[in-house]
Amino acid sequence: MRGGLAHAEATEAYQLPRLIRLAPNLYAACFTLMKLIPARFILRRAAADGKLPRGTVIAETTSGTFGLALAMQAVHLDRKLILVSDPVIDERLFRRLTDLGAIVERVPATAARAVGGYQAARLERLRQVLADYPVTFCPEQYSNPDNPRSYATVAEFLLENLGQVDCVVGTVGSGGSMCGTVTHLRAVLPECQAIGVDAHASVLFGHPDGPRELRGMGMSVMPANLDHRVFDAVHWCSAGIAFAATRQLHRRHALFMGPSSGAAYLVARWWSQRNPGALTVVLLPDEGYRYQDTVYDDGWLRAAGHLGAAVPDEPAGVSQPAQPGGPWTSLAWARRSFDEAVRPRPDPAVGVA
Amino acid sequence: MRDMRQYRLARSRASARPAGRGVGHACAHHGELLQGMFTDSAGRLRRALVTLPQPHSGSRATFHPSERHWGIVGTPELIKVRRAAVLALQAFSAHPSPAKGGQIDIVSDVPRGIGMGSSTADVIATIRAVADFHGVTMSREEEGRLAVLAECASDSVMIDDRVVLFAHRDGEVLETLGHRLPPMIVIGCDADPGVRVDTLSLKPAGYDDREIGAFQALRGALRHAIRHQDVALLGKVATASALINQRYLPKPLLDQLLDLCRSTGGSGVQVAHSGTVAGLIFDARQPGAAQAASACLARIGEWGLPVTATIGLPVAGAAQTQATA
Repeated sequence: MRGGLAHAEATEAYQLPRLIRLAPNLYAACFTLMKLIPARFILRRAAADGKLPRGTVIAETTSGTFGLALAMQAVHLDRKLILVSDPVIDERLFRRLTDLGAIVERVPATAARAVGGYQAARLERLRQVLADYPVTFCPEQYSNPDNPRSYATVAEFLLENLGQVDCVVGTVGSGGSMCGTVTHLRAVLPECQAIGVDAHASVLFGHPDGPRELRGMGMSVMPANLDHRVFDAVHWCSAGIAFAATRQLHRRHALFMGPSSGAAYLVARWWSQRNPGALTVVLLPDEGYRYQDTVYDDGWLRAAGHLGAAVPDEPAGVSQPAQPGGPWTSLAWARRSFDEAVRPRPDPAVGVA
Repeated sequence: MRDMRQYRLARSRASARPAGRGVGHACAHHGELLQGMFTDSAGRLRRALVTLPQPHSGSRATFHPSERHWGIVGTPELIKVRRAAVLALQAFSAHPSPAKGGQIDIVSDVPRGIGMGSSTADVIATIRAVADFHGVTMSREEEGRLAVLAECASDSVMIDDRVVLFAHRDGEVLETLGHRLPPMIVIGCDADPGVRVDTLSLKPAGYDDREIGAFQALRGALRHAIRHQDVALLGKVATASALINQRYLPKPLLDQLLDLCRSTGGSGVQVAHSGTVAGLIFDARQPGAAQAASACLARIGEWGLPVTATIGLPVAGAAQTQATA
């Protein structure tokens, strides 16, 4: 929807990005809080469909920005919100969520598993919450098709303002933003390329699951909303170089964004320089305030071993997702399904042992 | 293909009015550049379209006031014209000397049943003729409202001073997209000759969520295309809308027309979403556009398809104006 001079709701005013030209052929779509797009769409649609009668409890498992976006929209809808989170939720985010009226339930620290962390415990607690109340609604950002669908708004925004978009670069978590934005863009521009940026040790594009330092991108379980066939290329990026690129984005362009924005910027800058005739848009999902004590603190970076991390000029090309190649690798995904791209095919020349 | 239609109507045998008449004219169109479902300012989904005007053909209506009663029998389009005339007469009932009834003569060269807006052109010309008789010019929005009342769904040929996204079942402008369409050449043909679409019995398209999302993106692209007079992007929007429409009122020759368009440097293909016509779009400012369009015209002739529009194509000996809505 188009914004006039005044907005009826804060989430409507905050949800659209600002477009900033970083290079003649590279635009950044800078979001205050990108997750407002799916949170607003999912909850408003549920309300319009009569799924949020008065007294409904909205419940979701998240420790991140989707929870904040839900909490903001729940204020507009005047509904109770319960968020099930890790024990280690950021204290300032916790205060902001509770000030918005959300109830934040932290699973106990003893519930951690070796693989998947607190995910299983959080899902179990969510099931209990949903069973405890008579009328509940769970937005399910990882599987609700309204999540990718909501990003038609971003495609509309980019097409209205730029007309042509040859490539979109963005980090991948639920799959909603990249799959939704690119699928809708391709209704008009079928050749538009999509480059997904993932973290090492994330299962999304075929790495074995493992501990990840980089938050806000990458996953330990495969979300149903991730349509792998959208992507032309996939890049994996280490925390160290993502942090360094985040600081570069701030110093060079005065853009104060979070670390997943840094990772996306790193890849978009490289791709747009190699493709000067193409117009690239990079999605920068949230701002830097949550990371002032980490990514923006040299002392923290030093202690974490990331201060002065050298950013490679280009990624190391790999032919299989988990093939070692250093902190920054890339794979030509070629719009294949996960099985086509990741499952090893029997090689007739070698034979099957 | 010019035909003469004479419709007579009477509301009552009331008082005599001085002799005189009113005339009105309305253009045809050549289907749509975009049609689908879009959110309005209240966030509701509405069916709406963006019309491609066809300024070279249209309907002309003459209103002769009369107090004699004539029986009305006949085809649906006759009913629409009569209804439009009655609605227009009602709108002028507070006029100092209103007409009570009369007769409408229509001369039209708009082909019927192929999606070129023949009935809306008749209806709008009728409304304008009645208004003209009363010495009044109605607003375009009021004309649109009456047209929808008369025929349930109406395209937006009455809004001829700007490009609009028009809710064709409500007679309401959802959004003004700009002052005019960019300069383009459209070579139109009947892509399914012999088939006639009855718009009254056509079921509204049951667009799914994926298509509704696509319409949102297409709307953004169309805003850019019109603001920046970008024919290439406009052609992509029209093509995308035509492809979505293949699920509802398919044009069997669409792929063939798209191939022809691409091979001659055209920008895209638009269709009638409630008819059989399709048009190849060229950027009139591009060198060689007229030659490319003429080549397409020849190919369409070879395929045996009736030509329905040559909008913006300079024709030797004939002074045709460029289509800029």
